[in-house]
Amino acid sequence: MSDVGQLATSLRRGTLEFCVLAMVEHENRYGTEIVRRFGDEPGLAASEGTIYPLLSRLRRVGWLDSKWAESPSGPPRRYYGLTAAGRAALEHFRTEWVSFRQTVDRLVGTGEAA
Amino acid sequence: MKTQYTDVVAEYLRELDLRLAGLPVLQRRELLADLATHIETERAERHLQGEAELIEVLERLGSPDVVARAAYEEAGPLPPVVAPPSPPLPPLAVAQAPSERAPWVLPVIGAGFVALLIMMALCAGFFAFSRSSQTPAEQVAPEATVAPPAPIPSFTG
Repeated sequence: MSDVGQLATSLRRGTLEFCVLAMVEHENRYGTEIVRRFGDEPGLAASEGTIYPLLSRLRRVGWLDSKWAESPSGPPRRYYGLTAAGRAALEHFRTEWVSFRQTVDRLVGTGEAA
Repeated sequence: MKTQYTDVVAEYLRELDLRLAGLPVLQRRELLADLATHIETERAERHLQGEAELIEVLERLGSPDVVARAAYEEAGPLPPVVAPPSPPLPPLAVAQAPSERAPWVLPVIGAGFVALLIMMALCAGFFAFSRSSQTPAEQVAPEATVAPPAPIPSFTG
């Protein structure tokens, strides 16, 4: 049980943030929207509340920016968008990820080997 | 009615706040504000009616412990891509202190310890020496054995 949890945590570290970046790649989204989206993907985030500290860090390192806007139906929304640095980081991750995934697939035997 | 719902939320946020004491104040406030906004947004946009539904929102957020742990992990010294695994529990301010003292405290303690060992070895040496030269056992308080060895042989005759 703890091994399984540990594995999920390890896999999440270093990848989850790029899922966040990709989520706001084409349009700005507000916090709750991002969090709901992760809620729909089982096993991706530890819990919804852990997304906010992640958003905070991505903003502090300059990969996301945020601005508040009025909402038609609730409290003001904090919209997150990708910065130029965030866009570059995401592109870099995409390249790295493909070769990383291929290597792991080959070594672990999870590729669709033909 | 409404105050009853906000009681649950206020308690949740207070519990979380208590666990964030080691974070920079602006990060702490930001997180609390983000979560408060999230909860309020869920309530408004999903037209949540009762306390039970609100508690469900809080459960999906995760316990204050879980959220606080994530906050400390993300707060680390800001390496953007692969953060080194940080200690799971947070007393950052406390953890910082020993590493500042360490450079001089440890050698001093170490030197003291070595000196103590040498003293003990010397004492043991004197003690063994005085035994082997057949001094009467009665005179022995441990401090006495530190006295210069010279007088001992004259005892035996």
